[in-house]
Amino acid sequence: MEAVIEVENVVTRFGAERVHDGVSFRVPRGEVAALIGGSGTGKSVLLKEIIGLLRPESGTVRLLGTEVWRAGAPALNALRRRFGMLFQDGALFSSLTVAENIAVPFRENTDLPMDLVAPLVGFKLALVGLPPDTGTKMPAQLSGGMRKRVALARALALEPEVLFLDEPTSGLDPVGARAFDKLVRVLSDSLGLTVFLVTHDLDTLHSIVDRAIVLGGGKVIADGPVEKVRNSNDAWVREYFMARA
Amino acid sequence: MVRWIEQQAEGGTCVLYLGGVWRLPNLRGIAEALRGVRVPGSAPVILDGSRLEALDTAAGFTLFRYLSSHGCTEATVTARGFDPAHRRLLALVHERMKSEPSEAHARHLGLVHRIGHATVDLALLLRDHTRFLGRVAVELLGLLRRPGRFRVRETVSQFEDVGLDAIPIVALVTFLIGVVFAYLLGVQAQRYGANIFVVDGVGMAICRELSPMLAAILVAGRSGAAFTAQLGTMRVQEEVDAISTLGLAPIQVLVVPRLAAIMVALPLLAFVGDVAGIAGGMAVTAWQLDISPATFMDRLHATLPVSYLAVGLAKTPVFAAFIALIACRMGLSVARDARSVGINTTSTVVQGIVAVIVLDAIFAVVLQHLDI
Repeated sequence: MEAVIEVENVVTRFGAERVHDGVSFRVPRGEVAALIGGSGTGKSVLLKEIIGLLRPESGTVRLLGTEVWRAGAPALNALRRRFGMLFQDGALFSSLTVAENIAVPFRENTDLPMDLVAPLVGFKLALVGLPPDTGTKMPAQLSGGMRKRVALARALALEPEVLFLDEPTSGLDPVGARAFDKLVRVLSDSLGLTVFLVTHDLDTLHSIVDRAIVLGGGKVIADGPVEKVRNSNDAWVREYFMARA
Repeated sequence: MVRWIEQQAEGGTCVLYLGGVWRLPNLRGIAEALRGVRVPGSAPVILDGSRLEALDTAAGFTLFRYLSSHGCTEATVTARGFDPAHRRLLALVHERMKSEPSEAHARHLGLVHRIGHATVDLALLLRDHTRFLGRVAVELLGLLRRPGRFRVRETVSQFEDVGLDAIPIVALVTFLIGVVFAYLLGVQAQRYGANIFVVDGVGMAICRELSPMLAAILVAGRSGAAFTAQLGTMRVQEEVDAISTLGLAPIQVLVVPRLAAIMVALPLLAFVGDVAGIAGGMAVTAWQLDISPATFMDRLHATLPVSYLAVGLAKTPVFAAFIALIACRMGLSVARDARSVGINTTSTVVQGIVAVIVLDAIFAVVLQHLDI
């Protein structure tokens, strides 16, 4: 299977502290993979390194066949059109309406005329399960769950092949969180998306994730299907999965 | 040239062959190709996907939108030959398509509307300022009863930011204004042989008007903006709510120390400005008009009334109070987003500078009537 995300021997250091000490894994196309680990194990940092926001000290990151940290600006920009990122709190532009937020990627990256973009924006809202009148609202008027949906619509605007989610269900109530999980799974199944998410939510892990990658002590301490990882010998991993019982 | 869509009639039924890469980058061409296709309203249509190489939701949506706008329904359209993945995607698109597009347009208001809005906004702003002033006054009265609650450490730290750190910029600006003022005055005075009067002019103008006002404007821009941005960000991160929950009064903790610091700092800065401005004037008169520094000082002693210096410095705590109250109130009324912090910070600087100039004008008129 073709690997969409390949991380090899990534080392990250903040001052004297080694956050990653040789992290390697691969995510094949079409898979929903979750990165888990305790607080401070560098999950979000690793995510930023994969999408080209933060340079690792050494090691290689290959995304959709492009080496993120060797690519020049044009290659990196072309790559950025092929993945979408959902930030933890949505990171919607607070000065734009919801519809304008979703229209930003179309305006900046395509030459589509407005009479084509406007209906597409409406459709993207419907795709993530939001009523059409949401489009005229400002981000500050939305609840946390709606913000995330709008952010997801924006991340999906350019029809990405890979979707990155940073804590997609944090700050949502259990009902909203499960609905969001289901939405992500439906989209990934029908659009053939590869999804890579950082999460703390055990329910997300059990319901939509094909594969879990566990970070600990700067390394990958377990990697495989959720059921297999769950029965790993590592003490932290077992405690993590026991946490709810 | 790729044929995105080809229309054929097979046994009386209209068949649409989709072909090529139906993805976002090609959407413009696809939309144009669709415009060239005529489907027969309510008659059955067959969609053939066997030549399709790729499909995404944007292209699928555009196709369905075209079909439904030409009167096709679920009953009249049959799909055939699609890849299972494409079929799944189309099913999802169809399921989610029930709602119609919405595009927000900012409303453009007419001139009268705008004037009305601005007037109401201004009235509300002044009302809220007055309310805030009242709340601060109540807290200050409470402080009189329990002086132990006054936060000395916080006040001193604010004083360092507002006062000490501003000395270089205030001194530089007033020095340069002293230079410019003395130079321009000197050019005129030389014509009448009235060189020595330049000293009178520089002393009076700097001490009574220029130095207090410049110091106040600099502080309004520098510390006013800082106060609003600090308090605004604290509000965005719910720190202000946390302070209330811990049983502390936000005004006591955040506003009073800033108010006190700025009211002490501004007169001192104005005095620094007096000295620097006079030094600037002295430098120019020595070079341009041959008035030695000793002569300059003698003349200043003889002609500059102490009341001018006192009036100049006495105005500054009033300026300071307005700057601090405006800045803190704008900071605490930030809405919970980044844009609002920016808007309120800008507004603070504008309001602060306007307030200083308006107050100065009021002082000038009133003091003139009182013969001070």
